[in-house]
Amino acid sequence: MPLESVTNGTPLTNKTIAIKDNICTTQFLTTCGSRMLQNFRSPYDATVVRLLEEAGAHITGKTNCDEFGMGSANIHSIHGTVVNPHQSPFSSVPWHEREERSPGGSSGGSAAAVAAGMCDAAIGTDTGGSVRLPASYCGVAGFKPSYGMISRLGVVSYADSLDCVGILAKTTAEIPSIYSILSVFDERDPTSARPEIRKRASDFTQELLDSWDCQPGTMDGLTIGIPQEYFPKELNDCTVKPLRQILDVASSLGAKIVPLSLPMTQYALSAYYVIASAEASSNMARYDGIQYGTRIQPPHGADTRKVSNVYAYTRSHGFGHEVQKRILLGTYALTADAFDNYFLQAQRIRRLVTSDFDSVFRAPNPLSANPVKKPHGVDVLLHPSAVGTAPFLSDSNATSGLDSYVQDVLTAPASLAGLPALSVPAGLVAGWPVGVSIVGQWGSDELVLKVGQAIEQIVAT
Amino acid sequence: MRSPFCLHGPVRHLHSAYDDVRRRGWELVVGIEVHAQIKSRAKLFSNSWTSTYDELANTHVDAFDAAFPGSLPRLNSSCVDLAIRTALGLNARIRRRSAFDRKHYFYSDLTSGYQITQNYAPLATSGYVHLKKSNIDVRIKQIQLEQDTAKTTLEQRAGYSVIDLNRAGTGLMEIVSEPDIRSPEQAAEYIRTLQELLRAVGSCDGHMEQGSLRCDVNVSVNRPGESLGTRCEIKNLNSVKSAMLAITSETQRHVELLERGQHVFQETRGFSEAKAQTYSLRSKEDAPDYMYMPDPNLPPLLIDDAYVQRILEQLPELPEQTRTRLRLRGLNDVDIDIMMSMDSIMEIGFDGKTGSKIVSYFDRVSQYRDPTVVAKWITQRLCKELVARGLTATNNPVTAERMGELIDMVQDGKITHGSGRRLLKYMLDSPSAKPPSLIATELSLIALPIDDEALEEMCAEAIARMPEEVQSYKRGRVKVVDRLVGHVMKNSRGTANARAVAERFAAMLSK
Repeated sequence: MPLESVTNGTPLTNKTIAIKDNICTTQFLTTCGSRMLQNFRSPYDATVVRLLEEAGAHITGKTNCDEFGMGSANIHSIHGTVVNPHQSPFSSVPWHEREERSPGGSSGGSAAAVAAGMCDAAIGTDTGGSVRLPASYCGVAGFKPSYGMISRLGVVSYADSLDCVGILAKTTAEIPSIYSILSVFDERDPTSARPEIRKRASDFTQELLDSWDCQPGTMDGLTIGIPQEYFPKELNDCTVKPLRQILDVASSLGAKIVPLSLPMTQYALSAYYVIASAEASSNMARYDGIQYGTRIQPPHGADTRKVSNVYAYTRSHGFGHEVQKRILLGTYALTADAFDNYFLQAQRIRRLVTSDFDSVFRAPNPLSANPVKKPHGVDVLLHPSAVGTAPFLSDSNATSGLDSYVQDVLTAPASLAGLPALSVPAGLVAGWPVGVSIVGQWGSDELVLKVGQAIEQIVAT
Repeated sequence: MRSPFCLHGPVRHLHSAYDDVRRRGWELVVGIEVHAQIKSRAKLFSNSWTSTYDELANTHVDAFDAAFPGSLPRLNSSCVDLAIRTALGLNARIRRRSAFDRKHYFYSDLTSGYQITQNYAPLATSGYVHLKKSNIDVRIKQIQLEQDTAKTTLEQRAGYSVIDLNRAGTGLMEIVSEPDIRSPEQAAEYIRTLQELLRAVGSCDGHMEQGSLRCDVNVSVNRPGESLGTRCEIKNLNSVKSAMLAITSETQRHVELLERGQHVFQETRGFSEAKAQTYSLRSKEDAPDYMYMPDPNLPPLLIDDAYVQRILEQLPELPEQTRTRLRLRGLNDVDIDIMMSMDSIMEIGFDGKTGSKIVSYFDRVSQYRDPTVVAKWITQRLCKELVARGLTATNNPVTAERMGELIDMVQDGKITHGSGRRLLKYMLDSPSAKPPSLIATELSLIALPIDDEALEEMCAEAIARMPEEVQSYKRGRVKVVDRLVGHVMKNSRGTANARAVAERFAAMLSK
């Protein structure tokens, strides 16, 4: 990665950047959208916040999100629901009478702030699609880098093994300058990719970039894989159309389009929810009203002989419904009786999902002990970012029912494997934005961003 | 300061009770889990420093210790190094890959709601420790790294608890033995042997009374030849005596239950030292589900042969090696025990810096001298004088070079043994850079040559002054000469050689 740009003075001067409210700032409260941290001010800045400020960026404020990042519609927040600011350019309906749609979650506030032009860029977090889904619904670019590339120090954990800091901007072209500032090794994050791994990834990526003549107007030498499992029955047919158009143009520009199969995809969503909920139940355990945050005193005469009885009042009051649901699910998955059948199985599926991806990419996985090159593999994968356009906020099944979980079906696999994934606006369907996602091998973030820019050019023309 | 000379005091009233159980035909089986606080500067996963039990509450806390949102652990490699030293000392197999897990439970002294430990893949397994007196090997099942908790103090009258986070996150080594211990005495020897070993490798200061070493014991009884009985675990024993008492009382409880035809139920128990009784904390059915989960923040701990080799090269001498080496140099067990128990009360340094030890002091002094002579000086004189002054090997003002010079002066007859003792006391009380020979001269301690006229004069003076004694002597009461010698010794302020004086008197008075 181009680390040298960090030393080039203040490359983000005059840039306004909003920060998702689950990232610690000393300047503003960090509520995570939760009553539990309604008045919480962090004693320190997250590494990403520090890096942005050092690079000259102006932090404009904090953005709403689903409580602790858990949700796909940004309706689970103490601050209320975020409304998708996108409106059909053809709409003549007065604002207050327009349809209210979800911005997607959990980084809904960040996506909405960018879409509404309130900031140049926004920082979000993506655990299973929380940057890419809102980007798709709001019609902006949303990038989830490879796991470990951006420090998580100061990012309030939802599921540590999946949480990634992501970047949202109007177009992909604006992302690399921010990404290069943030993508540095942080010795205070034990999951931060070490410099030698970054070097290895960068070398592998350079090989891919060298074989693709990445000039505007040509895609010669680029191989794009289309995974068949990313077109499930839930997928709205009309969202496929923009993708098809992009592929047609890409092909005419010289890209090679390869249909392929990632058979483990069908299990990915279940595995994702087991792992994410298990880690969430563990990470939420610290919110007990003792050290910081909201504290609810037990009523007079309550049985306070057990510490957990005392905590129960704070935790029942402080956590919203969705967080409570995931804590319960995760706690169950970790009990001695369920551990083998749920958590360990999910871990196995996670490894298989990763090897699925490794088997199709041309670049070897820099994290594997003996990386193997596959000359006939693909450079990137392309698939729809979401199963449809932004759901109506009035459609409770789509925003908080079973369908809300299905929103993550296309984004969760890249999270499980820790791969870089970018959602770029692909056009409008019935007046509402849809995105396409570009997914690359671990560490090929630079390539993914370059392909994203090329696709944006196709969409623009 | 505790005296090193009365360390291993036996707890006599225990023996009879335990012998009684044995006479009644029961066998006792004990396994011990030790939690040893790692003597590292910083905590296991945070940058804040470790603390001692008497420091101001909540002064050693960083965001991670208080489980602040967004804080992350960072493994302190010196904790790993010290745990590997311990594992090597316990002859254990160090796993090339170990990993950290979260153990969940809600308690006010556990800020994050989970303790980071090594449940699924511990740091080391399959070791053993030899107990010298009992002459048995106790197998070590595993050694794992984990976090210590904060400390909760119940303010009984106020009706609330206060929490001190100083201890939260301090590194612990959990050392789990196999059930190879057969008596309270063996249990005591096991704990003490472990204590000595941990101190020798510098991984833990072993202060049980301060809580830096804590024991849980598992006790069961069975008839000889029959399978093991149901075990009960007794938690949080913080002295060797307490462990022995708890094992004895728990054994008796099991035997009484079984002899009445009742069952022992598997449970976790506490121990009241005041009542010398164990009491139930929770039964097996109430055992909490800790919902162990691999810690998603901490990568696996990979330890290759080169790493182990590096630790091995820095490994201080183990107690058993020290004993063997000193024995080979001709020292007796009494002298060896005195020096090693003196070292056992010494403060050890952080991060494996084992401070100055009496044994290494002995090594330096005896390098070109008779080891047995040096050992006598150190164990019978220096150690006693240090203890009397509240000093240790660490702040001993007499350097090894000066101690050696002093011993040489005595050995060469330049000063008498008694003057040597006075010189040593003087050097301890008035530390200075002067060489001992100069101090001896200043104090007029230099021994008089045997044929010196001065000696003749002094003897003559004594004879003149003590006519009665001289008469008695001449009448055959030869023991009276001691008084004359005493007079000369006093006048010479100890510089005269007592035997030479006695011989001179014998010669003068037989004329």
